[in-house]
Amino acid sequence: MSIATMTRAGAVGALAMLCSFAVPASVPALAAPTVGEPAPEFTAIDSQGQSRSLTDFRGKTVVLEWTNHDCPYVRKHYETGNMQALQKDATADGVVWLSVISSPPGEQGHVEAAEADRLTGSRNAAPTAVLLDPDSKVARAYAARVTPHMFVIDGQGTLRFMGGIDDKPTSRHSSVEGARNYVRLALADLAAGRDVQEATTRPYGCAVKYAE
Amino acid sequence: MARRFLSIAAVLAGLVAVPGVAGANPVATGNVEARLVAETASVPPGESFLVALRQKIRPGWHTYWRNPGDSGEPTQIEWQLPEGFSAGAIEWPVPERIPYGPLLNYGYENEVWLLARIDAPAGLPAGEPVSLTARAFWLVCADICIPEEATLSLTLPAGPASTDARWAEGFRRAKEALPVESPWPAAYSADGESLMLRLAGPGLDTSRIESAAYIPSSDGIIGNAAPQRLSLSPEGLTLALTPGYRKPDGAPLTGLVVLEERLEDGVVRRGLSIEATPSAVPIEAAPAGMPLWQAALLALAGGLLLNLMPCVFPVLSMKAMALLKTAQGREAGVSRAAGWSEARIGALAYTAGVLASFAALAGVLLAIRAGGAAVGWGFQLQSPAVVLLLAYLLFAVGLNLSGVFDVGGRLSGIGGGLVRGGPGGGGAAGSFFTGVLAAVVATPCTAPFMAAAAGFALTQSAPVAMALFVALGLGMALPFLLLGVAPRALALLPRPGPWMETLKQALAFPMYASAAWLVWVLGRQAGADAVLLAGIGMVAIAFAAWLYEKSRGAATRGRIAGAATAAAVALLVLGTAAIPAAATGPARSASADTEALAGEPFSAARLAELRAAGTPVFVNMTADWCITCLVNERVALRSDAVADAFASGGVTYLKGDWTRRDAEITRVLERFGRAGVPLYVFYPPAGEPVVLPQILTEGTVLSALSAAIPAADASPSRNANMETRR
Repeated sequence: MSIATMTRAGAVGALAMLCSFAVPASVPALAAPTVGEPAPEFTAIDSQGQSRSLTDFRGKTVVLEWTNHDCPYVRKHYETGNMQALQKDATADGVVWLSVISSPPGEQGHVEAAEADRLTGSRNAAPTAVLLDPDSKVARAYAARVTPHMFVIDGQGTLRFMGGIDDKPTSRHSSVEGARNYVRLALADLAAGRDVQEATTRPYGCAVKYAE
Repeated sequence: MARRFLSIAAVLAGLVAVPGVAGANPVATGNVEARLVAETASVPPGESFLVALRQKIRPGWHTYWRNPGDSGEPTQIEWQLPEGFSAGAIEWPVPERIPYGPLLNYGYENEVWLLARIDAPAGLPAGEPVSLTARAFWLVCADICIPEEATLSLTLPAGPASTDARWAEGFRRAKEALPVESPWPAAYSADGESLMLRLAGPGLDTSRIESAAYIPSSDGIIGNAAPQRLSLSPEGLTLALTPGYRKPDGAPLTGLVVLEERLEDGVVRRGLSIEATPSAVPIEAAPAGMPLWQAALLALAGGLLLNLMPCVFPVLSMKAMALLKTAQGREAGVSRAAGWSEARIGALAYTAGVLASFAALAGVLLAIRAGGAAVGWGFQLQSPAVVLLLAYLLFAVGLNLSGVFDVGGRLSGIGGGLVRGGPGGGGAAGSFFTGVLAAVVATPCTAPFMAAAAGFALTQSAPVAMALFVALGLGMALPFLLLGVAPRALALLPRPGPWMETLKQALAFPMYASAAWLVWVLGRQAGADAVLLAGIGMVAIAFAAWLYEKSRGAATRGRIAGAATAAAVALLVLGTAAIPAAATGPARSASADTEALAGEPFSAARLAELRAAGTPVFVNMTADWCITCLVNERVALRSDAVADAFASGGVTYLKGDWTRRDAEITRVLERFGRAGVPLYVFYPPAGEPVVLPQILTEGTVLSALSAAIPAADASPSRNANMETRR
């Protein structure tokens, strides 16, 4: 045993408490919401100029889809028709589908209202509304990490699902077929009045571009 | 706009690179230049060999680790290999933490070598071309992301393993960048709000760690971008993490702890792979984000506690008794006001003495550290001479308490003895030196107990560190300061009486115990001969003390006392001076518990002797405080393959312990252009010594050996790592 060891062995109790230092927090980290808790409130203007709040949709299931039309992972789901099919099936069942665009001006994925509508038309997409979030406020509230990052909120405003859209975390188009679509499963669970079986999944995709 | 154009151009470049069946090599995709390289120039039949997918990444862009973090996708390789071949999984180098806004990714910038081990079947005809094809897919991102892929082909002839010199350096670096299994066990504890991860290394000297970060192997366990609070304690290293969206639920926490250690020759980065098990008890971090006032308050409390240490308490008790007696005397004779005023001056002077001593010690310590030396509190105990002198001092104080001799005939004893007259009689100067004495005798006790606290102080800036040491001293002086400024407190002390003499004598024993402990420390440092010298010195002190006391009051007192003192001092000096000679004896060796190879302590003479005899020698210069050294020893030098190679090559392993900055080792370091440890040198039977890198892998050691001694070719598959540049 060395002296150094002895000295360390002797350093106990209150004295040991002195021996620490901290790295001060700099960038405010995002805090993810919790499944089973009330979903964070938000208000945003949609591409039609209408103000939309989560509370407007009480009584209905709400899907939030973070999107960036240039992101390869988003493109996989739109170019294969996967996202549109999901949107149509969901909205046909009375689900409110909100696509959220959080890229600030100058960043990839940022669009003005007209461009957002044009994209919906050209891609044959079927969201209930496209929310414009250029100051990334809604993204921060949900700690949205990627496009596409998906959230499902029930009629009571409780967050019931969050995470990746499926179990194929790649941008390869061929991966869509046979993928386990967690959003579809979550919506089916909610429709059947069950607990969501896979309520938190790993989000994958391009990083959400946050406003400063 | 420019960015948009760039991204389109990049996509197009990526599309162009989309391969046909037969691959090219290298392939440039616009954002990455990918190349398949092999460590060997041939495919060794029946053996395994390393290949790498080398990515040269466009500046400002990155590709991803196996857990990409908040976004992204890891690089993937699909192998198309001839019949009978198989490829292992990607061996991932330690990634960077790459922040992006409020998010964070794990990946690689500039250049990365992703290694994979290929097993070749036996019985390949020599010279037959073997074609290895890798269909590689990766995502490369800056603020935007581009998926790219390339099909890369490499054709090598079958034949005995021989290193491809073009890639030797790259493979060496790639292997250095791989994580190694943590030599220290990891544990975690989680509650809703916090996730604590601890690397348990009771002997781990953390004073040189620049940064530490946990990189999880799976998503959701932690908030990737959340700050990780590092705290260093005697138990090891603790990281306070922010839980992610997924609870660990008792499953092991896997991933890497990436440490950056500041050594004399630069910062060494090492990734330790961990599998942290749930801790039975909650892991506590030290109070974090401590403002100065809080740290100072804790230092104050620590200083207060010092008064109870076995070597301090007796001295302070005597001081208290002297104060008591003085105050009583004053009450009888002089006015109370005068007595209080004198007590106040005494208390302030005593405080000044303690503070001056602590400030002086801290000043010396900070100056040494500013000079680049990694000394901590307790550095004063690293010199055998200082340890010996302290042992003598404590022993002398003990003798005084036992009544063997009495300086100045006062109960205040030694405190006054230092400057003729006690706190009462000697006034401010006497009290000041009592403070100095208290701080000095406190040293051996403070060193063990304050090492951790002082370690914290030393991570701060010099003024803050000094403030904390002064706070420590203030805490120690506080009881007497209070007695001085609030004399009413004196009334709380028991009345003086004969019990004081009994207590005084009893208090001698903690002093003897402290002295005994110091002699043991000395023995560890300088061997059994030093212990004998210490014993002789103590006998001399006891004799001198007895002689001094006997001569008191005699006519010739001055003369005899002078002679006795002289004799004692002469013996003291003799004993102390002899220590450095004794210290060259068998001292402890750094991290002996991690030893797997049978080594000998390093000495220049032994090295010269072995060299003259033509014996190959492997020299390892290490130190207890060097984490990089310990990791190297555990991952490389401790392995069976290395032990076998040493044995079969007849290599003698010499280990130099630089914990105490041995001058002979310093000279060796300087000869190889190093300012500090680690240093690994292999001396082949003939020819120039080979310096190995500061980050050691098993392969580096084996290849250095096998390049010089064919007999060291113990393990054929491992020798695929051989490097010809040696």
